[in-house]
Amino acid sequence: METKTKSRVLQEFQEASKTLMNPALKKEKDKGAKIIGYFCSYGPAEIITAAGMIPFRIRAVGSPGTDLSDAYLSNINCSFCRNALNLGLAGDYDFLDGLIVLNNCDHVRRIYDNWRRKIKTPLVQMMSLPKKISDPSIQWYYDELKIVKKVIEDKFNVKITDDKLREAIKLHNETRRLQRKLYDLRKKDNPPITGADTLAVMVAATALPLKQYNQMLKELVDDLSKSEGVGKAKARLLVIGGVLDDPEYIKVIESTGGLVVTDVLCFGTKNFRAEIDEKMKDPIAALAKYYIADRPSCPRMFGDQPRRAQLVKDLVKEFKVDGVIGQRIVFCDLWAGEIYMLNDDLKQAGIPFLKLEREYIMAGAGQVRTRVQAFLESMGR
Amino acid sequence: MIVGGCDIGSTTGKAVIMTDGQISAYSIVTSTTRPEVTAKMAMEEAMGYLGLVSMEELDYIVGTGYGRLKVPFAKENVSEITCHARGANWLCSSVRTVVDIGGQDCKVMSIDAKGKVLEFVMNDRCAAGTGRFFEAMARALQVDLEGLSKLALEGKNPAVISSQCSVFAESEVVTLVNEGRELTDISAGLHNSIASRLSSMVRKVGLIEDVALTGGCAKNEGLAKALENKLGVKVVHLPEDPQIAGALGAALIAAERVQQREEVGKKA
Amino acid sequence: MSKIDKARLDKQLERLRGDKALLQSFVDMLGLDPSEEADINRFVLKTVMDKYDEIMNCAENDIPFMAAYFANCPEIFTAMDVPWWIFLQTPFLGVSSPFLASDTDETEKMGLATDFCTVLRLAMFYVEKDLTPKPAGLIALLHPCDGTVVIHQAIAKSKAWHDVPVFGADSPYWDDERTYKYYGEETKRMVDFVTQCTGKKLDIDRLREVCKISNQTYQLWADYNDLRKAVPCPHDWTIGPPQCFALACYYYPGKIEAVDWFKKLVANAEKRVKAKQGMAAGERIRALWFDILPIMWQFDISPWLEQEWGVNIVMNMFGYTPYEPIDTKNETTMFRGLAKRSLSQVPMIRQARGVADNFLGDIERIVKDYKIDCVIWPGHMGHKDGNASIGMMREKCRELGVPFLSIGLDLFDKRYTAIDEVKDRISKFFQASGLGQKK
Repeated sequence: METKTKSRVLQEFQEASKTLMNPALKKEKDKGAKIIGYFCSYGPAEIITAAGMIPFRIRAVGSPGTDLSDAYLSNINCSFCRNALNLGLAGDYDFLDGLIVLNNCDHVRRIYDNWRRKIKTPLVQMMSLPKKISDPSIQWYYDELKIVKKVIEDKFNVKITDDKLREAIKLHNETRRLQRKLYDLRKKDNPPITGADTLAVMVAATALPLKQYNQMLKELVDDLSKSEGVGKAKARLLVIGGVLDDPEYIKVIESTGGLVVTDVLCFGTKNFRAEIDEKMKDPIAALAKYYIADRPSCPRMFGDQPRRAQLVKDLVKEFKVDGVIGQRIVFCDLWAGEIYMLNDDLKQAGIPFLKLEREYIMAGAGQVRTRVQAFLESMGR
Repeated sequence: MIVGGCDIGSTTGKAVIMTDGQISAYSIVTSTTRPEVTAKMAMEEAMGYLGLVSMEELDYIVGTGYGRLKVPFAKENVSEITCHARGANWLCSSVRTVVDIGGQDCKVMSIDAKGKVLEFVMNDRCAAGTGRFFEAMARALQVDLEGLSKLALEGKNPAVISSQCSVFAESEVVTLVNEGRELTDISAGLHNSIASRLSSMVRKVGLIEDVALTGGCAKNEGLAKALENKLGVKVVHLPEDPQIAGALGAALIAAERVQQREEVGKKA
Repeated sequence: MSKIDKARLDKQLERLRGDKALLQSFVDMLGLDPSEEADINRFVLKTVMDKYDEIMNCAENDIPFMAAYFANCPEIFTAMDVPWWIFLQTPFLGVSSPFLASDTDETEKMGLATDFCTVLRLAMFYVEKDLTPKPAGLIALLHPCDGTVVIHQAIAKSKAWHDVPVFGADSPYWDDERTYKYYGEETKRMVDFVTQCTGKKLDIDRLREVCKISNQTYQLWADYNDLRKAVPCPHDWTIGPPQCFALACYYYPGKIEAVDWFKKLVANAEKRVKAKQGMAAGERIRALWFDILPIMWQFDISPWLEQEWGVNIVMNMFGYTPYEPIDTKNETTMFRGLAKRSLSQVPMIRQARGVADNFLGDIERIVKDYKIDCVIWPGHMGHKDGNASIGMMREKCRELGVPFLSIGLDLFDKRYTAIDEVKDRISKFFQASGLGQKK
C-alpha cells in the first residue's frame, strides 16, 4: 500500500517530519524570523503566530541518545522528554528564540526546570494548565494566555493586538480545515494516503511556516482527491495514544497490511476536530474556550474520559474502523490510565483493541509487526 | 492434499507436512544464522520422510515464527501467535488457553473453540521465561536441560529466586550453590519463578481451562508441574511433540487456503 | 445511601478489620511501657484504629462519609462534622500485611501498567474488587502527580463506584495569591458538593473555631520541628514527622486532640533536648530522607539505619511544613489560608506540585537548619517528577557541600529493589562519603 501522488509536496512534508530544522524554516530564520518552541498540544501556537513569530512544536526526532540528559532525568522518565532535553543540551535547539512549557504532565513539567537552568534559550516560560473543564478553569487559562502574551510582548518588544490575534486564528483555522479535508479523504473505502504519510503531513504543520504549509497542503489535498487509492488493506485501523510523531512507527504497523485510516493523537485528529470560534469578540477568550472546552482533551483532563471514549467510538463509525491500536510510551502514567479505561469502553462496544508499549525512539520493529499481525489475524483478516 | 507449515524460530526450525488432514511428517532442526537456510533444512528433512523431492509437490506452504518473512517457498506468512493457537487447538480441542514457551520469547493466548485467538500477551523483551533462561540456568548448575527438569521435580524445599532478570537470577543461583543449597531446591525455585511469571501472563488474558503448553520448553516436566501449582489447574498433555504446534498451525492454515481455492474454483 | 447486604459489607470491611488487628498487635507490643514516648506512640496507633472504627461504623449504619484527602482543606470536614477518610489508607498502612505482594500482582493482572505508582494501583485494586466501603461522595485529588489524576477518573468509572458522586478541585501550578484565590473558590464549590452528598452544612463561625485550633496545632508542630534541630535530635525513628503529619493533616485537622498530643510531644522533646538525650544507638549521621518513609517496610530499614550506621532521619519530606497561620478574619481570608496550606504547605504536595524550586528550596533550608550530613532521595517509582529532578538535587547538594544518594525503589513493594540491595547501596554511599563508621 502506497500513497500515489504526483505532488512533490508530500516529500517535503516527509522531510520536515524527519528533521528539526527544515529548509523552509531555515529560510525564514535566516531572514530574521523568530521561532518559539512549545511542548504539548495545549501550547498557544496562535499567540506565537500573532506575535509575528513561528511556532515550533518540540520533537526529539533524530536524537542519538540520552547521554547528556541522563545526568538530569532518570531511567524511569519518558523517553520523549529524555531525548528532547538531550537535544536541547546538545545545542540542536539553539535556533529557538523562546520556549513555552506547560505542566501537561510530570515529565514535561520538569523539562522547564532543567531547561531554564542548563540551556540558554532567551525566553523560557511556563504555563499553568487546568486539570478539568469548567467555566472557572477556562477563565484561569484565559488569564494564563494573557500572561504569556504579555511576556512575549515585553521580551521581544512586539505588540500582539487583537486584530493580529484574529488573523492568526484565521490562519490556524485554515490549517485545521485543510487537515480535516485530508482526513475526510481517508473515509473512502480505498483511501488515497497511508497513515504513515498522513502523520508526516500533520507533523510538518508544527515545523513549517504556516502560510506556506497551508498552500502546500491545499495542493496536496487537491491532488489526493483525484488520486487512486493506496491499495487493498486487510483492515482499517485507528491509532490512539500519547505523543507520536514518527511516521516510521505507523509504517511498521501498516507493513502488516493494515491501514491506519484515522487516529486520536496529539499530532492527529485532536488538532482539527474543533475550530476556534472566529466570531467571538475577544480572541483570547476564543482561544481559552477552544483549548480547554472544545478541543478533544488529553487524559490529564479530569472528568472528560466519557467524552474522549465517545470520540473514539464516533471515529470508528465515521471511518469504518475495524480495530483500534492503543500505544503509549513506557512510564507515561496518563496514557497507562487512559488505555486502562478505554479497554472497558471498547470491550463493551465490541471494538477489537490492541495495546502496545513503546519507546520514543523506535526499536524492535519486528516485535511491533508480530503483535499487529496477530491482532489482524485475530480479527479474521 | 499435501500442505506444509514452517515455523522458523531463533533456536529451532520446525516443519510439519499434513496429508489429507493428518500429520504425515515433521522435523525439528537447529536454527542456523540464516532463516531461509533453516527453513529449507527443516522442510527438506520432513519431505524426506515422505520421499518427496520438490517443494512443488506440496499444494501450499505457510511460514511462521520470527523468521517468517524469510521463508522463500512459503506462499504466505502468519504470526506465530495465530499458528500456535491453531496447532494447540487441533491437537486437543478442549484447549482454551495456550502457553507457548519458545527459545527467545514466551506468549499466552486465550482462544475459542475453533482455535481463534481472542486475547494475547507476549514477552519478547527479556529472556525470563524462555529457552535461553533455562539454558543459562542449566549451565549454572552444570547439567543439561533434561537434568535441570529432573532436579526440579525432586525439589522438596524450593529456593526463592527474587531476581526479575535472568542475568541476575544466574548470579543468585551461583550464590545459592556456593551456600550449599540443594541443586534440586535451586532448580525447583527457578521453575517456580518462571511459572509465577507465566501465570501472571495467563491471568492477564484470563485463565480458562483447558490449558496447554507449546514450544520447546513445554517438554520440561518440571515447568509443567510448577505452572500447574501456580495456576491451580492441570495442564493437558498434547498427543504430539508440543514444539511443532506452530508449524502445525501454519500447515492447518495452508490446508484452509487450498480448500478455499477449490471452493472458489468450483463456483467459477 | 442504599442498604447493601451483609456479605458484601463484610467483604468491604475485611481488610480494614485486618489492618486494625495488626495495629492492635503493635499496641500490645508497646505493652505496659510507661514511658512518655510509648504513650505518645500508643495515642497515634489508637488514633488510626479509631479512624477505622469511625468508617466501619458509618458503613455498618448507613451514615454518609466522604472519601477525600489531606490536600483538600480538611479543616472544612471538621467544621462540617463530616466523617471522612483517605481510602488509600488501607493499602498505605498495609505495613507488612500478608496481602500486599499478592494485591500488587493482582493489579498487573487487572491491566494496570507496572510502572504506575504502586499505591495508586492498590487503591484501584481495592475499589475494583469492592474491598473498601463505598463513600457518599469522592473528592478526587488532582495534584501533585499524573497518576492521581487518571486513577481517580478510573475510580469514578469503576463498576463498584461509578454511581458515587465525584468532585475534583482543580489546582493551578503556581504559589501566588491568584492561585490561592482560585483554589479557595474551588474549595467553596467542594463545600457545596459535600453538602449535597451528606446534608451537612458549613457554618463560618464554626470554621473560624476550627481554623484557630488548626493554627495552634501547626504552631506546636513548628515548635516541635525547631526542637528537632538540636544536636542530638531528641527522638529516634519511632517518633517524628510521620506521626505529626498524620495527626495534624489527616486525623485531627483543627481538632483539640491534635493540640493536646502536640503539647505532650513538644514537652517531651524539650525535656530530651535539655538533657541532650538523643536516640539510644547514638547519633552519628543526620540525614534528610526526602520522601515519605517506607511505612510498608519501615521495620526492615529504619532500625538497621540506626543500629548499623547511627543514622537519625532528622527530617523527611512529610515532616516539613513551614507554618503560616490561617487568617480567621472572614470567609475570604479563611478560604485563602486553607488554600495556601493545601497547595503550598502540606507535605509532598508542597514539594511535588509546582516548580522544582520548591523541592530545591526545601533541601537547602533543611540542610542548613537541621545540620544535615547527607540527603537521601529514595527515588520512589511513582515520583516521575521527582526522579526528573535528580540532576538538580545533586547539584544543589554539591552546592551545599553535602553528599547526595538516589536509590530507586518502590515505597510500597519491597520486591522492586530488594531490601538487601537498598541496604547495600546505602552502606556503600556512607562509606564512599566518609560518613560515620559502621559499628
